[in-house]
Amino acid sequence: MNLMGVLEISGSALTSERQRAEILASNLANAQTTRTAKGGPYQRQLVVFGTRRAGSARFAGILSGLSNRYAQGVEVMRVVPDPTPPVQRYEPAHPDADSQGYVAYPSINPIEEMVNLMGAARAYELNVAAAQATKSMISASLEILS
Amino acid sequence: MNRMEQLCEYLDLAAFRQRLIASNLANVDTPGYRTRDINFESEMRRAENRLEAETPALRVFEVQGLIERPDGNNVNLERESLLLAQTQLQFRMGVELLRQEFQRITAAVKEGS
Repeated sequence: MNLMGVLEISGSALTSERQRAEILASNLANAQTTRTAKGGPYQRQLVVFGTRRAGSARFAGILSGLSNRYAQGVEVMRVVPDPTPPVQRYEPAHPDADSQGYVAYPSINPIEEMVNLMGAARAYELNVAAAQATKSMISASLEILS
Repeated sequence: MNRMEQLCEYLDLAAFRQRLIASNLANVDTPGYRTRDINFESEMRRAENRLEAETPALRVFEVQGLIERPDGNNVNLERESLLLAQTQLQFRMGVELLRQEFQRITAAVKEGS
């Protein structure tokens, strides 16, 4: 049984949660963006998480084979745009206004994004705690020899 | 199974459980993920009654009775955090006992010389 692979699992969660936080920050930053490279207002991005098998094939054997089957890391499977249509606001003076004077703004609720961001931060912290616990277990096992 | 083997088994189980807890915590936001665990006591008992040649097969199960969120995920942060602390302490205890065992052997060797 090796504990090193456990660090890999916690590490995958740290990476994924950070990516999620980045996307959420981007949503927050672009809440008022009406122009993008592909035209139209910014579209809110959603992160889809999925399980990932911990890939430590080097440690073959029954126990690690078993743990690879059951203990899984996490990864960002996809980043998908939110299909919600943009919010139309009447601002005739705006350069991006259409012929009726309406401007399409991204449908982003900053409160919702903040709540998700807090969730990501909390999950990140939690996985740091898990990684620290594993680290202390590894260093404890080194004490057997001393 | 002698004491040393028992302790090794104990440490193996604790390390495996740590792995499951890390996996549960990593997937706290994964839709449809179910909390997994092993029964430490019964696995330990099974290991003691096992013949040496037999390969260990741990029984991993999905934990029942946890509150499920709308996305089908039922990871409970409090449960996992407590188990994390518990497993860590169990592991340290196993290490300490194993170390004492080795020290006893070393002492016996030194007495003889």
